[in-house]
Amino acid sequence: MSSKKKGNKKSTHRKTGSSGKIVDSDELVNDPFYASPLYDFLAPFRPAGSQWMTHYVIIIFALIIRLAIGLGPYSGMNTPPMFGDFEAQRHWMEITQHLPLSEWYWFDLQYWGLDYPPLTAYHSYLLGRIGTFVFPDWFKLNDSRGYETDGIKTFMRLTVVLSDIIFYIPAVIYFTKWIGRHRNQSPVSQYIAAAAILFQPCLLLIDHGHFQYNSVMLGLTIYTINNLLDGFYSMAAVCFVWSICFKQMSLYYAPIFFAYLLSKSLFFPRWFNIPRFTGIAIATVLAFISAFGPLYVFGGGIPTLLQSVHRIFPFARGIFEDKVANFWCVGNLFIKFKQLYTPEQLQLYSLVLTVAGFIPAFIMSILYPRKHLLPYALTTCAFSFYLFSFQVHEKTILVPLLPVTLLYTSNDRNVLSFICWIGNVSLFTLWPLLKKDNLCLQYTTCFIMYNWLLGNFSFVTPRFLPRFLTPGPPVSTTDKDYRRRSLLPNNILWKIIICCSYIGMLAIHLGEMFVQPPKQYPDLWVILNCVVGFGCFVLFWLWGYYKLFTLRNKNIQSL
Amino acid sequence: MSEEIVIDDISSKSVSKDASISYIDSSAINNKSEVPDRRYSLWNFWICGLFLKVLLFPDYFSTDFDVHRNWLAITHNLPISEWYYENTSQWTLDYPPFFAYFEWFLSQFVPPVVKKDGCLDIVEVGQFGWPTVFFQRTTVIVSEILLYAVLQYYVNTTSKVRRSQSFIVATSIVVSPGFLIIDHIHFQYNGFLFAIFIASIVTARNGNYLWCAAFYSIALCFKHIFLYMAPCYFVFLLRAYVLNFEDFKFKSYKDLLFLVKWCHLLKLASIVIGVFSVCFAPFIFQMPQVLSRLFPFSRGLTHAYWAPNFWALYSFADKILSIIILRVPYIYTFITRFISSPLIPASVNEIRQRVQEASNNGSKGLVQDVIFTVLPQIPPKVTFILTIFYQILAVIPVLFDPSFKRFIGSLTLCGLASYLFGWHVHEKAILLVIIPFSFLVVLDRRLLVSFMLVSAAGYVSLFPLLYENADFALKCLYTFVWCVIYFFAIRKTTKLSSSVERRVFFMDRLAIIYICLLLPMVLGVQFFDVMKWKYPLFEKFEFLGLMTYSVYCSLGIIGSWVGISWLYNFDEPLWE
Repeated sequence: MSSKKKGNKKSTHRKTGSSGKIVDSDELVNDPFYASPLYDFLAPFRPAGSQWMTHYVIIIFALIIRLAIGLGPYSGMNTPPMFGDFEAQRHWMEITQHLPLSEWYWFDLQYWGLDYPPLTAYHSYLLGRIGTFVFPDWFKLNDSRGYETDGIKTFMRLTVVLSDIIFYIPAVIYFTKWIGRHRNQSPVSQYIAAAAILFQPCLLLIDHGHFQYNSVMLGLTIYTINNLLDGFYSMAAVCFVWSICFKQMSLYYAPIFFAYLLSKSLFFPRWFNIPRFTGIAIATVLAFISAFGPLYVFGGGIPTLLQSVHRIFPFARGIFEDKVANFWCVGNLFIKFKQLYTPEQLQLYSLVLTVAGFIPAFIMSILYPRKHLLPYALTTCAFSFYLFSFQVHEKTILVPLLPVTLLYTSNDRNVLSFICWIGNVSLFTLWPLLKKDNLCLQYTTCFIMYNWLLGNFSFVTPRFLPRFLTPGPPVSTTDKDYRRRSLLPNNILWKIIICCSYIGMLAIHLGEMFVQPPKQYPDLWVILNCVVGFGCFVLFWLWGYYKLFTLRNKNIQSL
Repeated sequence: MSEEIVIDDISSKSVSKDASISYIDSSAINNKSEVPDRRYSLWNFWICGLFLKVLLFPDYFSTDFDVHRNWLAITHNLPISEWYYENTSQWTLDYPPFFAYFEWFLSQFVPPVVKKDGCLDIVEVGQFGWPTVFFQRTTVIVSEILLYAVLQYYVNTTSKVRRSQSFIVATSIVVSPGFLIIDHIHFQYNGFLFAIFIASIVTARNGNYLWCAAFYSIALCFKHIFLYMAPCYFVFLLRAYVLNFEDFKFKSYKDLLFLVKWCHLLKLASIVIGVFSVCFAPFIFQMPQVLSRLFPFSRGLTHAYWAPNFWALYSFADKILSIIILRVPYIYTFITRFISSPLIPASVNEIRQRVQEASNNGSKGLVQDVIFTVLPQIPPKVTFILTIFYQILAVIPVLFDPSFKRFIGSLTLCGLASYLFGWHVHEKAILLVIIPFSFLVVLDRRLLVSFMLVSAAGYVSLFPLLYENADFALKCLYTFVWCVIYFFAIRKTTKLSSSVERRVFFMDRLAIIYICLLLPMVLGVQFFDVMKWKYPLFEKFEFLGLMTYSVYCSLGIIGSWVGISWLYNFDEPLWE
């Protein structure tokens, strides 16, 4: 992103003499992101006098990049009659505006019928009210279908940014601050972690390019984690229930949160902590009532409730729709599941596989309900869902990616390398979708930008460019030629795997650009994309389990 | 691979050890020089800016985009003799020849896809698509590299003590919202043009006066707007390079001959004349036509809408007065007791008539020629006299003291004078003020308030250029964060020149309040702008938003001008 300019008034740390300073410099050099461009940009904010503004600067640049991506096209732009997700969201704002609650889940289901839980509907209602205040034509019942102007595009884009500001960004900032505080991280590390999470391109491109409101669901999930970190268990339950009631996708996390809360209230730190247990139970029920209650009271009782649940879980839609990098889609290349088994059988099998996939993480969470294990447990659990469950979209990768991204707070270069790698793979698997939306430019820019910010391209400057162009070391004690190595783990095997996957990704992109796929396999490049994605995800999932088991007796310092 | 791992493993440990060892070394060095050797690279800024600018490709672009596309077409398709005669499109070539050569140069790189897209067709209104946009936006980004190169040179040639300051100046310019808005959204090549201009400033600082003259002439031959700075360059080069007062004693008029360093004068003149002849030689027989294209005096006093300068306030006062007089005719009779007909319309009826005419002309504020209803009309002569007068005031001190500080100060004031009083000033011209001012402001913190005023108000005044709503939030946030970071950074790194703070605190506070109020002003205007979709009633007041912008911003810019003029003329410690 552009220019996080700062003027580098570094001067403070260096004037010095005392031994404390040495430690300070050491710490800086050992910062995992030391000498990455992100670090170079944020280092000038290190002096205590300017720390207050750092988070705001990061947030504002995060917003600027979101707005800049939002200038591009959205899904289904200029493609009547059905358009895309953008039109779906607009349509929900339209129907929630003009119809009574009882009809929300019944109205013209063929044309983007509402199929998200009630909080999405309320959210749409609220935004629709604002939109109607601004310009009523945008949301006229039936007349506004396929309404496309710059005005409504801007408005809708701004609503996503607004949702981000309210739900996602503060949650991330709080999380990084909490981790930083409890691990004595240097302020710069905290900022970098916050920036790395906020600039994660997958979410940016899906929410602000493709157009969805995932940041609300993900933000509420982070609030859940924050509450668990602080030990507010009932509040965590409420946030998580709301997260589910915004998008059912966050059910991917449910086993872990359930196990964690259960374990915390029944087994740790003492047996049968009944007040806590009751508190959590009541909070959960109340949160559900707050979400579904209005639907019951104003919406005509049980039938509407059942209809909403029916709409939310569309089991009639087959095991997978588009190409997605999970077990069923990739396995379908070799075994034609859809012909061999009935949908009911497939549902059962996918359920069995999914449960088998997350059961170890579930048990670990019961046995070791520890804060530093939460991201790993959530990752492995959500990946099991992504890889094996029913009706997975490529966009759903955002759900397992969230706890992964939160691990940018880690200090371990190995962990960071994996996080960065899987972030890139996830973005890569989104490519077919983004290409369909004409977001190629945004995809390429964000992909390169993010990796460059994290220092994966830092090898370029001293080696291929004149020395004066190499950003100077922010700490005067470091060697002049010090440069960041790209994010790769130490293990040789993993290094090879990761490098190969990158080469594969590049090859697929180049192939798609220059080679026409053979007639009998028109989807060749998309399928290859899924295969590479699936392979990487499975490996990463296994690595996640490995970390989960090896870290079980460590503490937050070794996150 | 395996070697690398070994290195990896070691390096994580050894780095920390190295750090503590070299720490001792460096502290020893620090004791000697106190200034560590650091590199300041604009590389990261370029890359970062590149990403943002690429993301801005799909954004709105103005008619200037078609203007430049048309010039590409003209220079590519026509022989050089017809460049300044071609008028199929209303966007005729009206920049000096170097820019035309530049367009010709660019047109050599148009790929076939873009050509097929209609990029190089000489037509009345350009018919082009995404490839042309992509190509032309890319040329802006590529040509802007020169700006980074020049500023990197500026940073590298600064003394170590001042290097971090100059780095702040350099970065503040390369990421300036002005360039982002005007070049990368609105569409122009200012980054590239200002690079040449800045090169002349940098060479002036380094004492390479010939280079300074050469760069300035080149810049002038690219865009004649730099003519505003001519008095300042003339006096500065004359005094610093040509005249020699060192052991000058007047005994007879013959001694005046030794006052001039003839050899220097010859060099300087040959360089300037050389540049101009290279530029204009192919057009030597069409000079009248070229000049009439370059200086179209038929245009009105104010641009499409009012640039926030003195004339904006003047027009505003005129509007207010006409409303008041029409409501309360007594005031008119009261005024006529003191002043009579040529200075004020002969009767109230005449005022009413003029108001009628103005409203018949259609959208107020968008007319080419502004007719004032109550106040005297302003002929171009008056604006020239005012501009020249204030420019002369600005360059006189340079005549006595040709230091770089003075020079850059008078550049800023020349820019301000022409911006505030010039004929047909475009709000984009504010860059001519802000860019030289950036070099000046790091020299003393007392200039900061003035700089804050002019840059905040100046950049905000660019907002109406992008009247689309899509980039509203983006431009606001970007300008906001730029102001916060750089005002803060400059404040941290500059020192006060005198131990006694001779500032007027009240003015400082007032300036801060003014700058903070820019935000509600921008938001309020935008709110009304959006509301007009729903309530067509608001459309009648469309010009009101633009007027608010220009009146409010002109207050800030005039305030800044007063502030810096005061410091420039009456504050000794600052210029020692």
